[in-house]
Amino acid sequence: MNTGVEKLFEEGAGRMLARANDNRSLSREAMVPRISAAVEKYLLKDDPDIPHAEISKFIDELQADDLCLIIACERGDENAWNDLVERFTATVRSAARSASKNEDAAEDLAQSIWAELYGLRTRKDGMPASKLAYYSGRGSLAGWLRAVVAQLAVDVFRKQSRLVQTEEDTDLERLARVAEGQPIVAGIPTPEESISNRFAQTDMQQALNQSVQELPAEDRLLVKLYYFDNLRLREAGAVLGVHEATASRRLTRIQTDLRKRVTKILVDERGWTQAETERSFAEVAQHLDTDLESLLATKGTK
Amino acid sequence: MKQETNNEMDLLLRRLGRRDDALVPEDHLDADELSAYAENVLPAAARARYTMHLAECSRCRSLVAQLSSSAGVVAATDSAAVPEPSGFRKFLASLFTPMVLRYAAPALGLIVVAAIGFVVLRRNQPGEYVARNTASDTQQQPVASPAASSSGVVYSLSNPTPSPGQFDDQRKDKNQPAQPPPPPNMAPAVTSVDAEVAKEKTKDQPKPEERTTTAANEPPPVKSEPTPTPEQSPRAAETEAAKNEVKVQPAPASQEGRALRGAQREDKTSLARAKKPADAASAPASGAGAFQVDGVDDAKVNIRTVAGRRFRKQGSVWVDTAYDSSKDAVTLARGSEQYRALVADEPSIKTIADQLEGEIIVVWKGHTYRIR
Repeated sequence: MNTGVEKLFEEGAGRMLARANDNRSLSREAMVPRISAAVEKYLLKDDPDIPHAEISKFIDELQADDLCLIIACERGDENAWNDLVERFTATVRSAARSASKNEDAAEDLAQSIWAELYGLRTRKDGMPASKLAYYSGRGSLAGWLRAVVAQLAVDVFRKQSRLVQTEEDTDLERLARVAEGQPIVAGIPTPEESISNRFAQTDMQQALNQSVQELPAEDRLLVKLYYFDNLRLREAGAVLGVHEATASRRLTRIQTDLRKRVTKILVDERGWTQAETERSFAEVAQHLDTDLESLLATKGTK
Repeated sequence: MKQETNNEMDLLLRRLGRRDDALVPEDHLDADELSAYAENVLPAAARARYTMHLAECSRCRSLVAQLSSSAGVVAATDSAAVPEPSGFRKFLASLFTPMVLRYAAPALGLIVVAAIGFVVLRRNQPGEYVARNTASDTQQQPVASPAASSSGVVYSLSNPTPSPGQFDDQRKDKNQPAQPPPPPNMAPAVTSVDAEVAKEKTKDQPKPEERTTTAANEPPPVKSEPTPTPEQSPRAAETEAAKNEVKVQPAPASQEGRALRGAQREDKTSLARAKKPADAASAPASGAGAFQVDGVDDAKVNIRTVAGRRFRKQGSVWVDTAYDSSKDAVTLARGSEQYRALVADEPSIKTIADQLEGEIIVVWKGHTYRIR
């Protein structure tokens, strides 16, 4: 890293300490490594030759008070730690509650978070291995804490799932061994499975898969959020940082775009005619619609 | 058609989403990246990089979705895609909100109805006068002439003496051929306000052809005689007054005008019979100007002639001798708007009202006014 950029970091650290309401008596030297890491992660990785003005602007947009608090905590400032716990206990508890099945699990998760933040383990350099080291100051400290809680909750859930899955797999394997050599009595496929199987074999599904993969990343993300993750438009829009109405308009445009792409693939690569493509769209959609309705009706009667 | 095609794609994508078996990448976004993405505070290039990851990684996607919801991040950066309505559009939109339509619109309607009613009622009253005056102007134009040129010689001491200029205004206003030029020392009893009003009145004068017709029935204009000066003897003033009266007497076209003329003759007779030197002494102050207040007191001062009209005092009311009690009278208060509108059209009525204190019933151009 050239000296010009390092100078930017020092100057930026000075400005940050000046604009913080409580800089925790930190020095520039304490701030520079954190600022440097953030700039490297979010700016220089994408554009090593980014203008200095952009770097200065980025530094000036960092959360000065939150970053000072975290760095002070990391450096063993007890007052800072008390402030952190006092200010964000409710945030951590709330995030843990929303990520947990019950109150006990939420309390356990919250305690785990504080342990992770405090750093009960030790790094190679002898410092506590705290998650605090990963806060860049780009987003709010509260948001970062919620993300830490959510990540930890996912990890805990996956560990538990993996354990349950292993047991289930064992059971399935046992059942498979029992059934070995016996005629397979295939279950009667539901209408959904039936149409699904047929649909899975079609050129159209492959073309649709291909078309989705070729979408721009942001459009693909929206499709995944809405169709794969079953988020509502408002939630999907929130992830993308756009209004619900904008997300809706984008989705409509993407649908039109995907139809064109699928048609092009089928016509150009699979030798379909335009009329066949149109008829296939209508038939598949009709089958799916009927299938879904009957499936919902069946579920509703159970 | 487009909606249908989108519905088809919608169904296909939903099915594709249920069959998603994409591999989850090994690397994931860390907490800082997730929160920064969810709060939409990342630089554009870094955000694009993470968007590519999120499009493939369901784990990080779910975390970002969860964080975005809890952070309450909403579309602040998308103001360009969803343009804020302008102030004017906002205002227009606010006019049609349910609350406004429910309460404010009926209230506004009531206000409009009330305002229209008020305006209509306000217009009706002046309209009466205008209509009457217009109708009578063509028929009874000469009536004003005797009023203006009659030969009164007795004046109220309280009557202010107008300036010659004001008289000129009044003369223009009346536009009577029989009007003698005003003597410099005898001016009509009109105020400057009346003069201004009289200027306006010239616009409402009868058309030239009407005036010509009227003038044909009238005696030719008579040159006014030199105005007697205060130094002249009372007897000479009396004689001059009598002369003026004879010379400027027009020929009213209407019956009322004839009645008025008869009354004036009666006044002249009584003047010749009962005029006293004291009365004559006041003559120079009045003369025979068109707008001069022509007042003649009888012996008991119960009858006065002002502006060509003869009034009899009945109790505290000066009643026009031409008053017919069977006719409806329009009651006016001095200083009221109706009164001002009337005297603007008929300055002579103001002269009468100024000269005769108290309540007056005056018959003017076929209409009866009770002035209080």
